Amino acid sequence: MKTVSLLGVASYLPERIVTNDFFAAGAAARKGMFTAPKTRRHVGPDESAADMITHAATRLVREQKLEPARDIDILFTNVAVPDQAFTGCGAEVAHRLGARPRWILDLHNGGCVSFVYMLELARVLMSASDARGALLCNVQNAAGRVFSNSEVRLEAQAPVPGDGCGVGYVAACDASPVLSVLHECHGEFARDMDAAAADGRRYWEPGPSPISIRFTQERVASIIQRGNQLVPDLVLQACTEARVRAGDIDLLVTNQPNSIFVRNWHEALELSPEQHHDTFDTYGNLFGAAIPINIDDALRLGKLRPGMLLALGGFAHAGDYAGAALIRWRPR
Amino acid sequence: MLATPSAEHSELDPAGLADIPDLVRCEALDREALGELITEMTHSVYRHEHVYGPYITIHEHIDCPPEDVFAYMANPYSLLEWTYSVRELRSTATPGLLVGVDSGKTPIYCRTVCHEPAKTVDYHCAWDQGDELWMVYLNRVVPAETVLNKPGSVVIWTNCRHPYYAKNPFPELCRDPKREWVGDWWPLFYAGHTLELANLKRILEHRRRHGLPLGPQLRGRQP
Repeated sequence: MKTVSLLGVASYLPERIVTNDFFAAGAAARKGMFTAPKTRRHVGPDESAADMITHAATRLVREQKLEPARDIDILFTNVAVPDQAFTGCGAEVAHRLGARPRWILDLHNGGCVSFVYMLELARVLMSASDARGALLCNVQNAAGRVFSNSEVRLEAQAPVPGDGCGVGYVAACDASPVLSVLHECHGEFARDMDAAAADGRRYWEPGPSPISIRFTQERVASIIQRGNQLVPDLVLQACTEARVRAGDIDLLVTNQPNSIFVRNWHEALELSPEQHHDTFDTYGNLFGAAIPINIDDALRLGKLRPGMLLALGGFAHAGDYAGAALIRWRPR
Repeated sequence: MLATPSAEHSELDPAGLADIPDLVRCEALDREALGELITEMTHSVYRHEHVYGPYITIHEHIDCPPEDVFAYMANPYSLLEWTYSVRELRSTATPGLLVGVDSGKTPIYCRTVCHEPAKTVDYHCAWDQGDELWMVYLNRVVPAETVLNKPGSVVIWTNCRHPYYAKNPFPELCRDPKREWVGDWWPLFYAGHTLELANLKRILEHRRRHGLPLGPQLRGRQP
């Protein structure tokens, strides 16, 4: 495998800040899996995933002094609620950025850990070709598109998600090296989460009920246990592969489904809460966009500094994907 | 044969609980609120001190019938075999009270209190003196058939952190000023107890597998 580096990240958060009074009465007092953040962002009705990526990527291109036509050989997207049901937005993004990638991959899997998955795929593709640069784009837009609906917003889980976009630039070089990156797929958990409507219609069928995202209720306890175990396990595996100890991790960045998982993951890795940077209370569950947005936030706050060992980890949906990576952070 | 429930059920008088605060019962806390509470309480790992601080409970399956495990444990001289360092047990002038040595030359006193129907075997012990037996090892042998649907026994062993573990109540009885106090080892008791319980399992399973008397195998007559 070639050595690849995560050279930088950028993020974009929609303007609209939504407070807890938008949801069912008592939303702010909930605990456990549905503990509400104080605020979260919602995308506007006319804001596309391609718009969000273009915002964030334009900043990344500027800060990394990239020439999109030359420096982006691979473009990945992962979008929670795609602009079009039948195709991804990668081609539109490439066009709007002036990029001419050889490969565009609109991932429809990997969910909340798709940033790590894309990082791994970037390394695989770069190792098998002369591609030098990859743009990784994550969009979470389910909060505004699904959970702001007048019926859905009254559901217990509605206050938890929040929208945002995070992008990262990966290059085939050893400047800020990815020391290890891995994922696991647990297909047996794939059907424990679905998008469903109260009237039982399928999402492509017309009907009066809005679509919501829900977990298989009777499996919640086992989903919690999976989440608790998968992420620390994968981070430890990534440590073993990188030949470092978990205690060497300077900063952990994960997806942030809720404050319970965030607590349990750093406890399991024996890291302090300060060593695990999250933005749950401000931005809510950012799905796959959490990892690049939180890296960007940690940089802004000076919590992620050159030379640090950065650990990434997370799991998707009800546990069907989990992944982790270790990076010796030396941005350019 | 199916058990047929009787038509009547026991009625609870709500007044009996009315003055007791913070009870978690479905009448006061619905499923959703319970879900929130138990999710907050459930971590993926727990610190050693959290799990084995004030109490240590360990458990092991032993492939040996519960009556045999009980009989072996109820014989205090078995401690000579399966403990790490209880040796030279002999009777004292007090009926049922034995004395031996622990960790070399510390006198250890022990009285075994059993309850056959419940299959409990409690070792009431102390270092240096036999008047106040405060190191109490509570054991219960449970038929594995009942709880695990398989042959053998489950042994549950609990030790509670008596305040004397923190400070030797009878320092004047110790003749060796350099001796470490038993309670200083409490943070390692989970491991120590676990190793001894594993000894118990190995001894009984080995003898049973080879058709040997389960023991304890003592030379000469028991003192």
